[in-house]
Amino acid sequence: MNETSVNNAETKPDSGIIGFQKEIADIRTAIAGFEMGENLNIAIISEPFSGKTALINEIEQNITQKATRFSFSSFVHDISEITQILDSNRIVILDHCEFIYTRRIGGFDVLEDFLKLTVSQNNMFITTWNLYSWNYLEKVSNISKFFPVQIYLPIMKADELKEYILSSYDKDEIKFIEDVASEKEKLIKFVNYPFTLKSLNKTINIPFLKINKIVLEMKVSHNEAKVTVEELIFDRIHHISNGNLGVANVLWHNGLEYPAIRPSRIKDFSFNIDIDLNEAYILGIILSVKSIKKDELSEIAGSEFNIDEILFRLVTLGLISLTEGCCTLKPEALHSIVDYLKKSRLVW
Amino acid sequence: MVDNSMINLPAFSTVTLINSILVILIAYLLIRIITFILTWSSERAGQYRITVKMVIPLLKFTIYGIALYYILANILKLSSEQLVLFGGLLGAGIGFGLKDLFADVIGGMVITFEKPYHVGDKIKMGDYYGEVIDIGIRSTRLVTPDDNVVSVPNFLIFTQAVASANAGTQEMMVVIELFIDSGSDSAQAMKILKEAVITSKYVFVSNKRPFTVLLKDFPFYRHLSAKAYVNDLRYEFEFESEVTRRTWEEFAKNGIKAPKVNVMDAGSKI
Repeated sequence: MNETSVNNAETKPDSGIIGFQKEIADIRTAIAGFEMGENLNIAIISEPFSGKTALINEIEQNITQKATRFSFSSFVHDISEITQILDSNRIVILDHCEFIYTRRIGGFDVLEDFLKLTVSQNNMFITTWNLYSWNYLEKVSNISKFFPVQIYLPIMKADELKEYILSSYDKDEIKFIEDVASEKEKLIKFVNYPFTLKSLNKTINIPFLKINKIVLEMKVSHNEAKVTVEELIFDRIHHISNGNLGVANVLWHNGLEYPAIRPSRIKDFSFNIDIDLNEAYILGIILSVKSIKKDELSEIAGSEFNIDEILFRLVTLGLISLTEGCCTLKPEALHSIVDYLKKSRLVW
Repeated sequence: MVDNSMINLPAFSTVTLINSILVILIAYLLIRIITFILTWSSERAGQYRITVKMVIPLLKFTIYGIALYYILANILKLSSEQLVLFGGLLGAGIGFGLKDLFADVIGGMVITFEKPYHVGDKIKMGDYYGEVIDIGIRSTRLVTPDDNVVSVPNFLIFTQAVASANAGTQEMMVVIELFIDSGSDSAQAMKILKEAVITSKYVFVSNKRPFTVLLKDFPFYRHLSAKAYVNDLRYEFEFESEVTRRTWEEFAKNGIKAPKVNVMDAGSKI
C-alpha cells in the first residue's frame, strides 16, 4: 500500500545518518537553489538495499520547508494518485518512483504524465529510483532531462558498514573472536563446474582453479599489515557485500552466533544461476523494483509466461523469496543476479 | 633458374612421413581441443560470446602455419634451394588444379585478418543467410534459419559482397514491419509499436543502439516500421515475432485494423 506523510519538522543541524554526507549536502544545496527560484528536481538513484529510504528519511527530517512525502510500494495506475497529494507544500518527496511505470504496453502513460507534472508544477520533486529501473528509463525515455540533480548513492565504506551494523548493539555487546579457520583460507582453490553431456544426458563436474578474490583483495589492501579481528570481519563483509547495506546486514546476521562472531562465519554467497530467458526476464523485473506482488508481475508478464512455474524456479534457486503473494529479491543474491542479467543483456 | 641436378632432395623416409603426419595430426587435435574449449567458454561468456569466438580462426591459421613450418624446417629440413623448388612444385600444382583450394586458403587468411565477419556473426553471402559457426581453412560454415549447415568456399570473399548484420557484436538490428488501415489512428499505432519494442524481453537499447519507429503513408494503407536491436542475434526472429504478436493484440483492443484485402496490391501498383 502506498503511504503518505506530512512533515512539519524544523531543520536539525546534525545528520543522524551514517555515511552519505556529501549526498545530503548536495540535496541541501539543491533545495536552497529551489528556494532561490531554480527548478531543481532531484533523482536519488541506487541499487536495491543500499539505503535510499534511510537517506530520504534523513532529508525529510532536515528540510526547513514543509514537505509532503509519498512512498510507493505498488504500481501507480492513475496519475491522480500522485496529483491528489500535491497540496500546498512545495517540496514533494517521492520514494520508490520505479513504481510509476510498468514494463508493458500502456505502462508508461502515468510516467509521462508525472514527468509533465515535474516541469509544469511549482513544486520541487525529490525522488528515489531503483538503479536498474532508472537505467532502463534513461535508455528508453531519456528520463534524466527531467531531473537536473542526479545523485547516485556511493557504496558504503567498511567503517561505515561497521558503524551502521554496530549501532544496533550496546558497546562491547558483540564479542569478536579470532579463529584459526579464517587464517587458513586459501587464495587458490579447486571448484567443480557442472558440465552437461547432452548426448549421454549426464552431468560431470570439471574441476577448475579459482582465485579467491576476497582473500586476494584483502591481502593486497592490508599489505600484510596487522589488523584486528573486528576489522577483519568488517573488511570481509565489505568485500563480499560490495558496500551494499542490505547484503552486509544479511552477512552479519548469517555469521552472528550471538553475542559472538568469528571471521570464518562470514562466508561468500555462491549462486550458480542457470535459468532460461523467461525466468531471467521476470528476475529482471523483480530486480528493477526489488519487491513486487505476484498479481502485478503476472499483469506485466502477460499470458506468455507461466508465472507460478517461473517463481517456483527462482525461489528454489534461492534468488527471491515469495511471502504472502509478494516476490522479493534476496539481498545475498543481488550481485550474482546483476552479473547474470548484465551478461544476458537483460539489465543495461 | 634453379638447376635441379644441383639440389639434393630430402630423404623421404617412412619415419619422415610418419613424423610429418604426426605433426599434422597433433595440430589438428590441438585445434579441435582449443575450438571446443573456446566455443564452450564463449557460450557461457554472455555478451562476450562473439569476442571469444573471434580468436578461433586466428588460432587455426597460426597452429597450421607453425605445423607446416615445423615440417618443412625441422622434419624435412629443406634448404633454401629446396624451398624454392617446393614453391615451384606448389605453383605448378596450383596451376594444374589446386587453384580453387589455394584461393580458399588465401580467402580464409583474408577473412581471419581483415575480419569482414567473425564466428558468431549473422551474415548474408551469396544466396545464403545465417550464423557463422566456423571459419575453416577452406570454407566458412553457416547455420541458416532453417537449421541447415551450409559450407561457403572462402574464395567467395573476393567475388561476392558479404553483409554482416552485427559486425562482431552480440546485438543486431531487427526491422519489424506492420501495415495498418489508412483510417486507423496512426499516432496511437506508433505509440503501441514503440512500447511493444521497448518492453520486449529481447530488446537491447543503449546510446549507440537506439530504436526508432517510423510511419509511411500509402494511398490505401500505412506502413509502420520499428528498428531496434535484439539483445542476442540468435533471437532475431523471436524478437520480430513477439513484438508483432503483442502489437497486433494491442491494435485489436484499440480498434486499429489491418488494410483491407487486396488494398496493398492496389497501393503498390499506383
